[in-house]
Amino acid sequence: MVTHEEILKIANLAKLSVAPEELDGLTKDMNEIIGFADTISAATADASDFDNINGLSNVFREDTVVPSFDREEILKNAESREDGYFLVRRRR
Amino acid sequence: MGKYGKIARLHELIADKKISCTELTTQYLAAAEKENAALNAYVKTTPETALETAARVDAKIAAGEAIGLLEGIPMTLKDNISTKGIETNCCSKILEGYVPIYDATVWNLLKRQNAVLLGKANMDEFAMGSSCETSCYGGAKNPHDVSRVAGGSSGGVASAVSGNLAAYGLGSDTGGSIRQPASFCGIVGFKPTYGTVSRYGLIAYASSFDQIGPLTQSVEDASLVYDAISAQDPMDSTSSGRKELTLPSLGNSIRGKKIGVVKEYFEGVRPDVQKALQGAMDVFRSLGAEIVELSMPSVRYSLPVYYILACAEASSNLGRYDGIRYGYQTEHYADRNEMVCKTRSEGFGAEVKRRILLGTYVLSAGYYDAYYKKAQTLRGTIVKAFDDTFGKCDVILAPTVPMTAFPEHYAAKDPVETYLTDICTVPVNIAGLPGISVPCGFGDDGMPVGMQLLGPKFTEAALLNVAAQYEDAARDTAFRAVETGVAL
Amino acid sequence: MKDWELVCGLETHVELSTKTKIFCSCTTEFGGEPNTHCCPVCIGLPGTLPKLNRAVVEYAVMAGLATHCEINPNAKMDRKNYVYPDLPKAYQISEYDQPLCQKGYVELSNGRKIRLTRIHIEEDAGKLVHERGNTLVDYNRGGVPLIEIVSEPDIRSIDEAVEYLEKLQMIMRYIGVSDCKMQEGSLRCDVNISVRPKGSDKLGTRTEIKNMNSFSHMTKAMEYETERQIDLLESGEEIVQETRRYDEGTGCTEGMRGKEDANDYRYFRDPDLVAIRVSPEKLAELKARMPEDPQARFSRFVKDFGLPEADARLLIEHRRIADYFEAAAKGTKNPRAVANCITGSIFARLATDAEKEEFRVTVSPENLNALVKLLDEGKLRMNLLKSTLEKMLDTGKPASEFLSEKDLAGVGADDLRKICEQAAADNPNAVKDYRAGKEKALKAVLGAVMKATRGRANPQEAEAILSEIMAG
Ligand SMILES: [Mg+2]
Ligand SMILES: [Zn+2]
Repeated sequence: MVTHEEILKIANLAKLSVAPEELDGLTKDMNEIIGFADTISAATADASDFDNINGLSNVFREDTVVPSFDREEILKNAESREDGYFLVRRRR
Repeated sequence: MGKYGKIARLHELIADKKISCTELTTQYLAAAEKENAALNAYVKTTPETALETAARVDAKIAAGEAIGLLEGIPMTLKDNISTKGIETNCCSKILEGYVPIYDATVWNLLKRQNAVLLGKANMDEFAMGSSCETSCYGGAKNPHDVSRVAGGSSGGVASAVSGNLAAYGLGSDTGGSIRQPASFCGIVGFKPTYGTVSRYGLIAYASSFDQIGPLTQSVEDASLVYDAISAQDPMDSTSSGRKELTLPSLGNSIRGKKIGVVKEYFEGVRPDVQKALQGAMDVFRSLGAEIVELSMPSVRYSLPVYYILACAEASSNLGRYDGIRYGYQTEHYADRNEMVCKTRSEGFGAEVKRRILLGTYVLSAGYYDAYYKKAQTLRGTIVKAFDDTFGKCDVILAPTVPMTAFPEHYAAKDPVETYLTDICTVPVNIAGLPGISVPCGFGDDGMPVGMQLLGPKFTEAALLNVAAQYEDAARDTAFRAVETGVAL
Repeated sequence: MKDWELVCGLETHVELSTKTKIFCSCTTEFGGEPNTHCCPVCIGLPGTLPKLNRAVVEYAVMAGLATHCEINPNAKMDRKNYVYPDLPKAYQISEYDQPLCQKGYVELSNGRKIRLTRIHIEEDAGKLVHERGNTLVDYNRGGVPLIEIVSEPDIRSIDEAVEYLEKLQMIMRYIGVSDCKMQEGSLRCDVNISVRPKGSDKLGTRTEIKNMNSFSHMTKAMEYETERQIDLLESGEEIVQETRRYDEGTGCTEGMRGKEDANDYRYFRDPDLVAIRVSPEKLAELKARMPEDPQARFSRFVKDFGLPEADARLLIEHRRIADYFEAAAKGTKNPRAVANCITGSIFARLATDAEKEEFRVTVSPENLNALVKLLDEGKLRMNLLKSTLEKMLDTGKPASEFLSEKDLAGVGADDLRKICEQAAADNPNAVKDYRAGKEKALKAVLGAVMKATRGRANPQEAEAILSEIMAG
């Protein structure tokens, strides 16, 4: 059973705020989903450990500089900026 | 060229100057404008770039230059495929106003071939959903019956292609998001082998599952588009490129091929859907293929394995939406931490938040072993089960979805019940295999039924040929054109 | 701290000196206007993917080899998840349970080996500037490659901690994987520290002091923290396991609040990156690329060049200096004079450690070599060596520019014969041995001649005269 406290802890890790009135519904949903996920506890897996899905290795880039993007482009989608920096205002 | 290739037919019309590319594009744009009120397939149209490209193609033709098969063909992209200068927001409020400063590799490849982009297609928010209804723009509707959903998550592309509002489109498939809406809308949806198509520029849902692929009106079209977009990409470390072109192998006989029918795939499938698939098996027998009955018990764990692993990856992939560098930012907050939390809580929809929470939970201290690690081991087991099964058959035949298109709001009632409808599509994503959904008839409700054909990794050419042979033999009974959109 | 023993381990972050970032092709150059060394990948735009820089893996393996690590043949990259504005993807790509290098050590001058748990590769975060409560973010440094070198809690004193870090700095510079400039943040460390009663083998509760960026801060922070912990324990209180910050102004360490509450990083394999496999062939190739180990070079300098240990130690500390010394000493009979030139006049012009590391010297090793050879040949009097070198350092011109005929006159032929005769007379036993067929005996007398002429004599000439005199 997932408790309210656990939901709040997980939400904090995920940086989601949960309003008090949402908590019951969300806990119920999560319990249902986790109950569903729990069905794998009965499964037996063969020892074969899973590596990455396509079995590739050593895919590298050479150490050669390519010009960076124009700063205007880099900052273009930001809500706020100042002096070439991304800006997070203290409060709004 | 085969009988049912829509792209080839349009290409001929343009190349033979029966219609100009500009005229064709104008027709499609007008149809999109007119029908979108009912279908909600497009979340934005891009007439300027479309007409600009069309004019370029017309100039080439006027100059007597030869044009490629995809050149000048009107098409669409799912809204999670980054398009430089064109807003791309994954149908999420959190990416409101985000305009990419670079192109996804697939779009880059098609752009170079003068593909005419009509607009960005509707989808479930961050590709999380099976009905397209988690979109912040509301769901795309099914052209076969607008009271039903187009499916998801690539519902907009499926709706546009099925409703003749685009000749073809690209979607993405993480747990069935190309094949399921293709099945619901009575068109072809192809999810290639993981790694054959670059993911660079595809806004991530679950990185080790996501794969871009085409939604089309015929197998030949799927083959054509796949050949155009499958290439090794230096920007994507997990990209391997395709093994071979697929188009040249369409038309080969499938006599003697073994078609595997795995019994676990048919558990809980609606009887009328079963019946349509039985019909497809008969067609294969008539083509000289052999149906072999097989079993893969581990497939039963596919759904929880998929939801645990995909949500774990998603919880990490979606951490970056904090309102600082791009997208939505909350109006009022007291400090930086509150800004991030409020932005995310207001920006993400309920289903996305549920999946982020599940993913965070299964990775967190104390739960990692029981969920994430166990699921990862089971993923290995399922991969091995497919390897074994493909020792006994050439392709696997399965339903795409155990039912036909849901009525509107069906999906909203119960998250777990909705997850269960992905039962037949997720195993392929777990194992990174190619899978195609082809229309194979209709249910008792008159809605299209889709059949899945699955193959071993990198066997796209053989797989598409099996699908093409079926289509050739059964098109008249299995496929129904929709009367909306451009009638060419 | 008579009854207390310090137990300390270091987590050292070393910025690798690759040209480009770890996962994209942006430059790693230090500084630059904010957000000008950025691209979609390193600001984490949706849809972008990382591509690992080959040089990062190679440098990390070389760092492992230089510190006696086992190299993992099968490594992978993991995601360390936490939300913070300096981390544009909300996860740091790092290595969790299969790091590239494991189980190495660094040997201190007292013979103690500080064991290394691991060396792994990871990306640096961006830089935050706090202004009037606002946060400004610059991602130029985001994605710059780092190696994190984690030691076991084997360090027992502040001096050992400093020496360990100096050694690491030297080694990393030597093999060319980092410039280890503390003032630019390319070498920084976190200090894990606890105390226990002397003789105990139990570990006490530790605290972690974050982000030490100079040797003197590290020393002061460790002094303060050790005392604080001892005071607490002696007054019967308990140490709280926590992360602390060193305040340069007050010289104190203080607990950091806030960042603590969300300390569950949810590590998992990064699905956007593939396995890193270091084959035996690749390992052999990298081993071949490794320069001589500084310790081996030290021994060789003492043995082959006859340098005093103290001089040898000064010379090997920076690879460029050791290389310079070897080039300048090549073929001379007087390597100690070369060493003295470097540790004397040249070092006097290089004030800081960073300047020594850069080692910008106007005099080429060839010109220094030529200068010392004048000594060998007896042309230059020893007392002119230093002043000539100073002039060369001032101007960058060769010795010949400053030396007159008279300066280069050396010891006259008549004078030399007289000195030789005197030396033979002073060493009758050597003369007797020489006449009995022991040719080596001449060398002893030659030594006396060179001493008497303070090195000005041309040794070949002196040898010829001596063999004539001693033969009788
Ligand atoms: Mg670290
Ligand atoms: Zn970059």
